[in-house]
Amino acid sequence: MVPPVTRDAELISDLYNVVLVFAVIIFVLVEGLLIYSVIRFRRRSADEMPEQIHGSRAFELAWTIIPAILIAVIFGLSVDTLGRMTARGTLSNPVAHVHAINDVAARQRVERAQPVDLVIEVIGRQWVWQYKYPGGDGVTTSEELVVPANKNIRLDMTAADVIHAWWMPELGPMIYVNPGEMSYVWFNVPPGDYIGQCNVYCGVAHARMISRVKALPQAEYDEWYAKQAATSSAATRPGDPEIGKNIFLNGSCIACHYIEGTKAQGRVAPRELTRFAGYPTIAQLDGFENNAENLAKWLRDPQAIKPGTAMPNLNLKAQEIEDLVAYLLTLK
Amino acid sequence: MASISIPIPLRERAKSGLLGWLATVDHKKIGVMYMVMSFFFFIAAGVMALLIRLQLAAPNLQVVDPNTYNQLFTMHGSVMIFLFTIPMLVGGFGNYFVPLMIGARDVAFPRLNAFSFWITLGAGLVMLLGFLFGARSDAAWTAYVPYSTKSFSPTVGMDIWLIGVILLGIGSTLGAVNFLVTVYSMRAPGMTAWRIPMFVWAMATTAGMVLLATPVLTAALIMLVADRNFNTQFFTTNRVQLWQHMFWFYSHPAVYIMILPAMGIISEIIPVFSRKPLFGLRAVVISTVLIGLLGFTTWVHHMFVSGVDPAIERFFMFTTMVIAVPTGVKVFNWLATLWGGSLNLKTPLLMCIGFLGTFVIGGISGVMQASIPIDQYVHNSYFVVAHFHYVLFGGSVFGIFAALYYWGPKITGRMFDEKLGKLHFWLMLIGFNITFFPMHFLGLQGMPRRIATYDPGRGWEAGNLIATIGAFILAFSVLVFIINVIKLRRGAPAGDDPWEGNTLEWSVASPPPEYNFLEIPTVESDRPLFDARMRTPHV
Repeated sequence: MVPPVTRDAELISDLYNVVLVFAVIIFVLVEGLLIYSVIRFRRRSADEMPEQIHGSRAFELAWTIIPAILIAVIFGLSVDTLGRMTARGTLSNPVAHVHAINDVAARQRVERAQPVDLVIEVIGRQWVWQYKYPGGDGVTTSEELVVPANKNIRLDMTAADVIHAWWMPELGPMIYVNPGEMSYVWFNVPPGDYIGQCNVYCGVAHARMISRVKALPQAEYDEWYAKQAATSSAATRPGDPEIGKNIFLNGSCIACHYIEGTKAQGRVAPRELTRFAGYPTIAQLDGFENNAENLAKWLRDPQAIKPGTAMPNLNLKAQEIEDLVAYLLTLK
Repeated sequence: MASISIPIPLRERAKSGLLGWLATVDHKKIGVMYMVMSFFFFIAAGVMALLIRLQLAAPNLQVVDPNTYNQLFTMHGSVMIFLFTIPMLVGGFGNYFVPLMIGARDVAFPRLNAFSFWITLGAGLVMLLGFLFGARSDAAWTAYVPYSTKSFSPTVGMDIWLIGVILLGIGSTLGAVNFLVTVYSMRAPGMTAWRIPMFVWAMATTAGMVLLATPVLTAALIMLVADRNFNTQFFTTNRVQLWQHMFWFYSHPAVYIMILPAMGIISEIIPVFSRKPLFGLRAVVISTVLIGLLGFTTWVHHMFVSGVDPAIERFFMFTTMVIAVPTGVKVFNWLATLWGGSLNLKTPLLMCIGFLGTFVIGGISGVMQASIPIDQYVHNSYFVVAHFHYVLFGGSVFGIFAALYYWGPKITGRMFDEKLGKLHFWLMLIGFNITFFPMHFLGLQGMPRRIATYDPGRGWEAGNLIATIGAFILAFSVLVFIINVIKLRRGAPAGDDPWEGNTLEWSVASPPPEYNFLEIPTVESDRPLFDARMRTPHV
């Protein structure tokens, strides 16, 4: 298993290792008996006739009762682990699921379950995770979930279209994120970068629906957050095509878009972007001329420009938009 | 072995040539058609598997585009399950050998039997031709809503897939009725419950499961077709789990539908090739039926991370783990049958040993995943892909090849080339394990199933490359089998009973005559032919 970094992931990993011991014992026993029998009891003469044994009550009871006990032990250990994962006040109850978004009572149970320092809203959509931070600063990201390290975090998750699944192997159990329902995940992690990806097949770019969590020490997190809050409304420098290229190729854009000779091999968007700057219009929209200003408008909110387009609002920052525009207009 | 005379029923004599096959209602010819059809679909789905493995051999490969990849794994799963494993075991071996083994001249409803076959073939062609001509589903064989609804899968390919599976469900439900009635009412005189061959017990249990489970899937499929085309609202948002319940209520038992007949097959072969009776016959029968019943109580273990109530999940964790007990009983009884026997290590027995050695790994990893916390880690990962291939290839497919080598001489009247058979076995055993064992580690390293590609640096490169190499060894082993089948034309004559069999099919000629038995035999033990051999001195 991927080395666990949270208590819940550790509980799972410990249980796995114990069960694996049982598994290896049974494996060695069965394969050993099988191989021994094949070698020891191979037919040596054409007319040999072994003793006709029809059964043995003692043996059969033994290999009914002993496995039953083993199973009971594994069941007990699993229930025990589940109990510890849902113990109160230990930042556990690591996942929870509520079937209706507006179920107030269930919502209150979730709020009471664990004391938390930060709640982030997460929306899973084809093929990107979007993270919305609390507070009125309008901070949203979609490439990376940045959180303060060693703090209790809760993710309030739902899906905008089909079923997705949140799976960060180092961080604890996975959970489905269903449309029309709420899924909750709690975690508390040391500083570091963690990676996972959507684990329910969700369409053509399912393989590119990566989730990244970056845990920063509180001071660095505050600095990052302040910068986000500032740049979410205005860019601080002119667009840089190199940075834009980085954003494009390491983000969710490649899920749908195709640029020859790069990692962007998505085939969802109707036109490839290999020579994007040469197109007269954006999104094949008559009169929507392909220039930096319009492109920035488009990236800010595609649905507002062309309702029903497959391109989602990626909640890009003003600076990210500047960088992406600079990059896209180099594609000739 | 005594016998009694019952006149052969007056029915039009079989026609010969092509029309003889197209118009036949003979259970043996229908069985052979099922086998040929299933094997063809096995090759088709195998080629899809090779494309899948090629694509994943290295990070960011583009052997096929992601869309095609998703269609390929959807079709690979669907075809292997619905058009290969089930029709080969149930339609193929079940049809051919159940009547022979119970001393009957045909199944209870021969015309219904023919209808089941033709509807199955028709459904298979609908699915495969749809696929070849571009009407493809990419919703995976599980077709989870809302992905499979009109909003997210707007193309006709999804409808074609749904209609294909509905038709297949009709075929197998009718087949199940036929088997149950046949086994219940057409056994030879003297064949009491404990004298019924294990394969027939397995087939009867399987037929019972098909009869109870398939209608639920068929209903779900029809509801989805209606949602897609007539604006009904069965599976609208907020009810995403309804589909999963209905789907897995069939599709978990389907695993047992695919494994019980294979278990029945090796329960026939191991005693014959060990020259011993099946150890603990009654325990094996009871565990077969118990697996059949318990198989209906475990489906929610596919939904441990879907958002089911935790208390309900614990109940299903318990039932899922319990099913390991009767399965374990079978494994140990097979081992005890081998123990102290006189093992004739011909290809059929080797395939059974392959079954035992690999199936047990799938059984163990099944118990591991039944534990909810472990499942919260490995669910939908390559660990699961490894697990179910150890059960369905390691179990069912090894069982199918065991049956083909064991019963092939009865069906064709010719013996297989033993050297090629052994080569096939070893290549398949090695190729299989090289392909699927690394997938356990890939899953534990965080690789989800159903991804069309992956980035380097996640620790998945080596495992994937090894798996791809294994897949080609596996494919080569199947090629060896095909050569062996072609060479069968010049194989040595099999005679009535090349293996010193235990059951009634070995008392008739190879291939068996029309209507099987001139005189219906009377059965006095669970091994009528063994007893008959013991009574007559060796020649």
